[in-house]
Amino acid sequence: MEKMKDLRKLFHEAAGDVFAVWRKEVRRVVHDQGALIFFILVPLFYPLLYAFIYTGEVVREVPVVVVDDGETAMSREFVRRVDATPDVRVVARTGNMGEAREMLRRAEVYGIIRMPEDFSREVNRGSQAHVSLYCDMSGLLYYKALLLSCTEVSLDMGAEVQVHRLGNTTARQDEVSTSPLAYEDVALFNPANGFATFLIPAVLVLVIQQTLLLGIGMINGTARELGMFHTQLEHGGGRGTVRLVAGKALCYLMLYVLVCVWVLLVVPRLFSLVQIPQAADLFAFLLPYLLACIFFSMTLSLLIVQRETCMLVFVFTSLPLLFISGISWPGVAVPDFWRYVSWLVPSTFGINGFVRLNTMGALLEDVRFEFVGLWIQAVVYFLTACAAYYYMIEESRKAASSPIKDGVR
Amino acid sequence: MKILSRMRFFRNIIRIASRELRRLVSRPLYLFCMVVAPAACLLFFTTLMYEGLPSDMPVGVVDEDNTPTTRNLLRNMDAFSQTRLTDAYPSVTEARRAMQRGEIYAFYYIPEGTTRELLASRRPKVSFYTNNSLLIAGSLLYRDLRTMSVLANASVGLQVLQAKGVDERMAMAFLQPIVIDTHPLSNPWLNYSVYLNNTILPGILMLLIFMVTVFSIGVEIKDATSRLWMAMADNDVLCALVGKLLPHTLVFFAVAAAYDACLYGVLGFPCHGGIGPLLLATLLWVVASQAFGVFLIAVLPTLRLALSACSLWGVVSFSISGFSFPVMAMHPSLQALSNLFPLRHYFLIYVSQTLNGYPMAYVWRSYFALLLFVLLPLLFLGRLKTVLLKYDYIP
Repeated sequence: MEKMKDLRKLFHEAAGDVFAVWRKEVRRVVHDQGALIFFILVPLFYPLLYAFIYTGEVVREVPVVVVDDGETAMSREFVRRVDATPDVRVVARTGNMGEAREMLRRAEVYGIIRMPEDFSREVNRGSQAHVSLYCDMSGLLYYKALLLSCTEVSLDMGAEVQVHRLGNTTARQDEVSTSPLAYEDVALFNPANGFATFLIPAVLVLVIQQTLLLGIGMINGTARELGMFHTQLEHGGGRGTVRLVAGKALCYLMLYVLVCVWVLLVVPRLFSLVQIPQAADLFAFLLPYLLACIFFSMTLSLLIVQRETCMLVFVFTSLPLLFISGISWPGVAVPDFWRYVSWLVPSTFGINGFVRLNTMGALLEDVRFEFVGLWIQAVVYFLTACAAYYYMIEESRKAASSPIKDGVR
Repeated sequence: MKILSRMRFFRNIIRIASRELRRLVSRPLYLFCMVVAPAACLLFFTTLMYEGLPSDMPVGVVDEDNTPTTRNLLRNMDAFSQTRLTDAYPSVTEARRAMQRGEIYAFYYIPEGTTRELLASRRPKVSFYTNNSLLIAGSLLYRDLRTMSVLANASVGLQVLQAKGVDERMAMAFLQPIVIDTHPLSNPWLNYSVYLNNTILPGILMLLIFMVTVFSIGVEIKDATSRLWMAMADNDVLCALVGKLLPHTLVFFAVAAAYDACLYGVLGFPCHGGIGPLLLATLLWVVASQAFGVFLIAVLPTLRLALSACSLWGVVSFSISGFSFPVMAMHPSLQALSNLFPLRHYFLIYVSQTLNGYPMAYVWRSYFALLLFVLLPLLFLGRLKTVLLKYDYIP
């Protein structure tokens, strides 16, 4: 009976402390313009800017120059059809390669289509005609657009040539004899093959982790710089690290639930990206992601001893973290060593899980690996966060009690 | 008199530079941002994409027909370098779930009766499902499918024609009357490492240069040492700047040149423009990035805001420079905006000069733009002087 009472008292006291810390932290965040930039401004506008950059989704009308040595009706027909594809635009025709290469050098075109002199003769004679395609390799999307369009046209015209040679009587016969087997390509989850649909979800998830790293780093950097870290404890006594961590985490969690709604639900809708999640599964997944990110950031804030240095340390990591997640560079091609390293960071699991739940319509059980990984991270990083905060409390307490008050920096 | 004041100018520069060197080694942060982080990124990105092209991506199979003909078709599929047939699934739903679990990147669907219909000339349809929410993987697999479908049809057709007594050359000419010979200039291997790392790595270094430049100046305001620093330069702000940033230039140029040596020397990436122009361009973008940092701290003398601006500019660079998603496909306002990013100009120089080996004259605009970035701080020297002498730190 007595024991129960004690426990209840302890619980009340702890909960009271946690909420007191939480209240103060909310006030601190609201009054710190620097932290507000990371917690509010960046999540609010950066995704918009990013989505705006990629909103075109695909490259259309890649400029190309044609060198037609033969100038026959058939070669002109080929060029006309390439020009008619949505992805390629013939901006010039010229008689010699030198001129075409010059246009390539001046970056007026990204490719050269060279129709050989004997193009229609070869076709009419029943042998193979070769069209040469030269591509500038500054961007793979140019190459892809040029190659696919030309291949498409060559297959279409080739089929017509075959039909002509065969002299079949019905259209059905034509089809069967030119390609006995029909192929169909189904692009799942990103039907337009768009760049935004592919990259933006990953970036959105990453923004959440990175802004938490920056914001928490800045708050703790400020407190350490001023030697005020230990004054955040509710009762200057020994117990309190866990309460401090819990109260602060509660504040960040509350804030980031709102941020998540904007970044992960509203922004994709604004730019009509693919969005087919099971709502309950998505929310169930985001909880451990947020917790893991928060405790991860609280742990890493140990590296930040000054208010502003968080940006120097954390911002550049966004790029490696995006690539290591296996979205742009396929996960199977990530070397083992980097794959294990990537498991240390919440964004890896977060990005993979979110893309599958949101863009590919997977269920929570399909992302079990990521889901469990995030919970493990959340627990482990909670413990390390407590250790880190304990260290920072002791550090600033020692500094405060040492006789030389200045010159700590 | 004039000579004396000039000598004093240079002496001041050297004194400030040696003070800055001491400052650089006194803080681990500088060592981290100037050497450790760039080296780690170099190691990371070059080892991550060491393969150049991802190979052996797992692909599933749903073969409802399961005859010697369809199995032969699938064996052909397995032979392509980018694909590895892993598992067979009983139904499309099962295969889709495997895709959602991330086990396979694509799957082949051969409906029941395919062989029968093939023999009866009823033109059966075979489907290939790719997961295009992973764009690179999806595109590579799609390419394999295209080749595959051409070859498969050709092999079926070839058998028919050869049975009719047509020789193979004639048969191929019949089956594929028009062939596209592709020449991917300068990167015939379609190597992704070549395509991405030549811009990503300088981009990361640029971001760090912005930050270190802004921080090293801003921290003087913060610690209220800027007046001392200016006094060492006899309150000549140009002298103060040159003295302070010269050690940074040397370190960053050494790091950037090491990048060049690693990418074009060790890894053998295409470098058709010669080493001299490459180093010139490298030096220019290093100094242009520093100058951009000076410009930011002069305009936004609050350390926190200037660093935030660096972050924004540095990170947006990667998207707007157009090395992954072309600038021509962006909104016209963004196309204009892209000119304000040093990385955009470096990317254009790299493509024209290093990758393609065109003479420097073809990218004079980009060189000129980088030069303008270098000169940009000169317009703000007066303001910077006021800032350094009068401003107090704002948290």
